[in-house]
Amino acid sequence: MKTLKLLVIALAILATNNLAAQTPTDAILMGPKEICMAFTYQYGSWDQYWEGTRLRKNENVATLNQQMGAFIAAIGVHKKVNLLVGVPYVKTHSSEPNGGKMAGAKGFQDISFNVKAQVYERTFEKGALTVLANAGYSTPSTNYLSDYRPYSIGFGASEFNLRLIGQYKWNSGLFMRAATAHLWRGQTEAERDYYYANGSYYTALMDVPNAWEFNLVAGKWFLDNKLKVEASYVGIKSVSGDDIRIYNAGQPTNKVQFDQIGMNTQFFLPPIPWMSVLAFFSHNVNGRNAGKFTRFGIGTTIQFGF
Amino acid sequence: MTCKMKKNNIILSFIIACLFILQACEEDLPTMANYKDYSFASVDSDAGSWTPVLLSSPDNIVIADPQPTSSAAYQTELEALKQVRSSLSESQKKAIAYWTNNPTLRWNEIALELIAKYNLIPGPNEDGSYTLPNPNNPDGPPPFPFAHPPYAVRALAYMSVAQYDGLIAAWHYKYQFNRAEPSEVDPSISPDYISNNIPSYPSDGAVVAQASKEVLKAMFPLEADYLEEMANQHLNSLMWAGVNVQSDLDAGKIIGQEVASIALSRAANDNMSKAQPNKAVSDSIKASAYDRFGWQWENLESPVRPVGLTPLYSQVDMWYVPTLEEVRPIAPPGMDSPELAADIKKLVDIADNVTEEQRAIANYWQDGLGTYTPPGHWNKIAIDHLIAYGQNPIRSARTLAYLNIAMMDAGISCWDAKYYYHYPRPIQLIPNFKTIAGTPNFPSYTSGHSVFSAAGAEVLSYVFPQDAQKFREWALEAAVSRVYGGIHWTFDAEVGTTQGIQVASYTIQAAQNDGAN
Repeated sequence: MKTLKLLVIALAILATNNLAAQTPTDAILMGPKEICMAFTYQYGSWDQYWEGTRLRKNENVATLNQQMGAFIAAIGVHKKVNLLVGVPYVKTHSSEPNGGKMAGAKGFQDISFNVKAQVYERTFEKGALTVLANAGYSTPSTNYLSDYRPYSIGFGASEFNLRLIGQYKWNSGLFMRAATAHLWRGQTEAERDYYYANGSYYTALMDVPNAWEFNLVAGKWFLDNKLKVEASYVGIKSVSGDDIRIYNAGQPTNKVQFDQIGMNTQFFLPPIPWMSVLAFFSHNVNGRNAGKFTRFGIGTTIQFGF
Repeated sequence: MTCKMKKNNIILSFIIACLFILQACEEDLPTMANYKDYSFASVDSDAGSWTPVLLSSPDNIVIADPQPTSSAAYQTELEALKQVRSSLSESQKKAIAYWTNNPTLRWNEIALELIAKYNLIPGPNEDGSYTLPNPNNPDGPPPFPFAHPPYAVRALAYMSVAQYDGLIAAWHYKYQFNRAEPSEVDPSISPDYISNNIPSYPSDGAVVAQASKEVLKAMFPLEADYLEEMANQHLNSLMWAGVNVQSDLDAGKIIGQEVASIALSRAANDNMSKAQPNKAVSDSIKASAYDRFGWQWENLESPVRPVGLTPLYSQVDMWYVPTLEEVRPIAPPGMDSPELAADIKKLVDIADNVTEEQRAIANYWQDGLGTYTPPGHWNKIAIDHLIAYGQNPIRSARTLAYLNIAMMDAGISCWDAKYYYHYPRPIQLIPNFKTIAGTPNFPSYTSGHSVFSAAGAEVLSYVFPQDAQKFREWALEAAVSRVYGGIHWTFDAEVGTTQGIQVASYTIQAAQNDGAN
């Protein structure tokens, strides 16, 4: 019963990485029979990574570049329930020159489905509190190879997640948002039948560790609710897994953790209120078995009824 | 309100059900091979007369005559065995199931795991220099050893040879003394393993435990405590399982200890300690190749590694091949040859259009850093087959000894070709070429995977002729996997395969004449 309560208290869902608008992590809902489509492009890179908790470089990788183009659609199926579907395309490669001469990877990553619902709302004199829950499922949309770090485009396993989101918005346009999620991750299949992860594994299957995700956002709407500016924190904490071994490639079994800070902004164009442009930035300030990524992204959203 | 609550409960129940299903679908992944005791296809009562690899005769190693089973001393031992069996703990039962009645299985598995654990290439220091693992300072950094394929196959060869020679001595005494198994002496004992009616003095399990532990301790000095613990558990488990009394174990340990020291004294003087020379020697090897052929392999890593992997592994003593020259392959295609031009085109084409099947083959046989290496992969294949064919412990040790001897000779011959010809890798000759496997730190010609795999497949084809075609297909697949990976020329793989077959023929000839056929 305690577990159940914890589950209830726990979270909602989400899909993949760092999408910036109309995502399972924000507090936005489309109205019924409305669709919002977001297209984003982001560029990320790292020239240092955490091997376990030790930050290091590897000139055989040099700078790892990752580009991601993502499409996500939020569909209002009820005034308090949205359905979100998205899939990113990811491309990775090393900068030149590098000592490894390894090929990068590219392809469609994981397709995600999320249901986001407003579960509580209360208006106060000075603002409003909204609580949302999100449940999501994602799974690789192609047969990409997850056991190809650091170039692999994803962890290659299905994920089920539950997320709880709470936002307080003042009448002034200022808002604070907190979200927490548990990410249940399944197994990915390597193309070898033995691997070492703090001991031998006689299988091609690799357990991708489950993780907690924490999200804190402080932001404000300006210009008569046309411009939104946010500062964010995202924490990913795998609950199990092994560390990358010295000067060795990572693998999907690794205990991945990072603390990421970022800025997001979204602007609704006054002449075309059904369209917005957005830009975002994030940086990993601390981590474990993760790249010290810096990412920039831009995007646009289009909203229409059906 | 009630209605809404109910709806929420349904949703909640659904989510919880999903989670349980999700959790249930995630089976526990196997952290050890699924070995069990089994019935042996033969007992090989004449195996004491087989020709050992290192011993000149099985009675080089002397053990005391056993006390008769009717003696008070034996009866006391038997009582001790019954006593300990009367109250086995769960962990003791687990140990019994783990070790099985074929002692070579788990020791081979332990060796493979240590290889995977130590198969990590040392990274650069802050200033761009590299520090090599040092057996005199095994803690490092970097820790000793770097269990790369030449190191791994040598460790496996010495362990398997020690097991095999030790078991020849054991079989010699088993059938000389014919001491009955405890369960035969006292029918109230029902052992945990399938009985194969092999005399129990000296204990074959103890021979293998002691010999394997001693060889592996020398090869992986930082694992001494772990290996002692495993050997102790193995020895104890033989009594817990009801198959050996203390004097069976003690006699087996003597043989294991002795045969390990014979194997390790060969290892100490086989020139492996000189296989990784300094940069001056390495440069002169490179310069000779350039003088001879007009090309030289270069390490392209960043920072550059000053010396390739074990340039003088070729000087390590081979087991059955008299000279390097008689198995050295012909020279590879010249830099301006149409053969090389065609191969460049072929590699570029594969890289540009690699199929999922090619990628899977490249990865399946990669056995790269952090794994048990290609020789380890062939040991795993051998173990699976020797169980399938019900090989008894001495047959198993024989299979593994010839497998690893042939692969070690193959590695030595391959490394001779690599540094004699010093042939460039694809990334060195093809501008902007990208690979899906990591390019190793040694010359291209011939491919280690090809030579190791062909040699391994030939020995297994000799031992298990029913499966010869399958082994040879796998060896070819392992060879071409390196071409798919973008790190070898097709002629590296093809000539390497021929080379491996040729090197293995010497081992197979020895096997054909050892009296076990």
